[in-house]
Amino acid sequence: MVSRSAAIVEAKNVDYYYPGEGETVWPALSGINLTVAQGEYVALIGPNGSGKTTLLKLFNALLTPFGGEILVQGISTANEETLPAVRQACGMIFQNPDNQLVATTVEEDIAFGLENLALPPAEIRRRVEDVACLLGLRKLLRQPPHLLSGGEKQKVAIAGVLAMEPRCILMDEPTAMLDPAGRQDVIDTVRDLNKRQGIAVVHVTHFPEEAAWADRIVVLNEGQLIVQGSPEDVLTDLSLLHELKLQGPAAVELAALLREDGYRLPPQILHNRELVDSICSLERKN
Amino acid sequence: MFIGTEKLTHTYMPGTPFATEALQDVSFNLQQGEFALIIGPSGSGKSTLIQHLNGLLRPTSGRVLFEGIAVGSNKHELLRLRRRIGLVFQIPEEQFFSESVFDEIAFAPRNLGLDESEVEKRVNESLEKVGMQAEKFRNRHPFRLSAGQKRLVAIAAVLSLQPEVLIFDEPTVGLDAISRKNLYNLLTALNQKDGLTVIISTHHLDQAAALADSVLVLNQGRLVMAGPAENIFNKRKQLYELGLTLPPVTEIMHELAEKGLPVKTAVYTLQEARGEIKNMKRRYKP
Repeated sequence: MVSRSAAIVEAKNVDYYYPGEGETVWPALSGINLTVAQGEYVALIGPNGSGKTTLLKLFNALLTPFGGEILVQGISTANEETLPAVRQACGMIFQNPDNQLVATTVEEDIAFGLENLALPPAEIRRRVEDVACLLGLRKLLRQPPHLLSGGEKQKVAIAGVLAMEPRCILMDEPTAMLDPAGRQDVIDTVRDLNKRQGIAVVHVTHFPEEAAWADRIVVLNEGQLIVQGSPEDVLTDLSLLHELKLQGPAAVELAALLREDGYRLPPQILHNRELVDSICSLERKN
Repeated sequence: MFIGTEKLTHTYMPGTPFATEALQDVSFNLQQGEFALIIGPSGSGKSTLIQHLNGLLRPTSGRVLFEGIAVGSNKHELLRLRRRIGLVFQIPEEQFFSESVFDEIAFAPRNLGLDESEVEKRVNESLEKVGMQAEKFRNRHPFRLSAGQKRLVAIAAVLSLQPEVLIFDEPTVGLDAISRKNLYNLLTALNQKDGLTVIISTHHLDQAAALADSVLVLNQGRLVMAGPAENIFNKRKQLYELGLTLPPVTEIMHELAEKGLPVKTAVYTLQEARGEIKNMKRRYKP
């Protein structure tokens, strides 16, 4: 059991804006306060342009805030000297794995960050072996990344981050370009790392069914943190989601329609199985 | 036959140790005005097939047919053909290069050598078609639009060629729920009102399934299933074996049917599912 008391990432009253050219400058983020605890799985949802990606980039120190501060394991991201420590603790997975695979073979790609840390070769070899075993990539180590499937490439990207022994993985729509099997594989891999190794996850997604597996949901809209809470509370609040032009998981949406039709379904249906079981038990009574 | 292929085979890097058969003996045909989906796991050949349909790739063997005549023949000389068959790539806004929305969309009509008044007319029409007011958006910088708006501008740029067939490679990647819905409403209008033939390759069936007339399923470069949407989506087991999944709502209906409830499974929208569950009672006592 991993202790959840300590914060891994903290945003304290963070403001950020992208400089506009002659147009009104909209704040990309304003007054964001958010703490991600050790071992926590947070899903970040919100419409396009709500600031999700900006927040991830701030956590990874790709951007630094104009107001407030970001702390990664207590270290401010504004400090140039401590950037390597911040990025080692908090690794980033982008939507398109092609944007972050750099080497000509899988093993060299996984080793890339480690070589930059100037670790001894034996240690690099050990870590590459370990993460390849863990993610089921051993057979692919000598392959060129561009010949892999999308799901495999995304797992190589995860392996590269994991080899750095991070405390938190930031993922920006990591499954958007993958097929259903690849999607499931990546989600299972990350959930497993989260559960077994206590690595915190911040997962940006447009798919409510994916968000439903998180410990906590954080909702952004127009640069502001609107609400946060458990998936059972946030993803079942359809009036809120619809107001923000978001969707609930299919099971939640369908349950709401059926309740309008007089079905007495329990209030916190989130996953398909819960809806199917509830309908079946109602039908059995009839 | 309107558009299709005859024993289409494509080999990448033929005659080298890296030769890969991306498509093998693929034959199908679609009628004018159809809404067709191409599905299949990553690496199954979807993008290769799509690029053949407007002559971006040339067959290793076999033929691509448009109006019954081979693509690349005298009648369907490639440059002229590509005005009639528009192709929208994955994340097309990454190819933006102009300073204004107007110039971005005007690029293709100007290349056709049309005079500037006709170019102007086409740009305005295309913007209106995708639901963006020409006056409001024509001078905007394309990079400063929201993700959904960028995608629409990229589609408008293809519509400015006034194509008869529109082909999309994964049209909704990275879009939020409302933008996905808007995009599919647009595709429905182009298909049903303007009579365009629409062909989409996608991993995300959520909205696409309800609109499809026919479905092609690729696996490892071979066409493994083809036919009316309902027939294909009812083969859930076979699709599973290929690593493909149905829309979440359809999954719920299948799970209900597996529990012995008398529901139809060919259901792709929440409202259809609601109606189907409501009608269940009547079926118990015919």
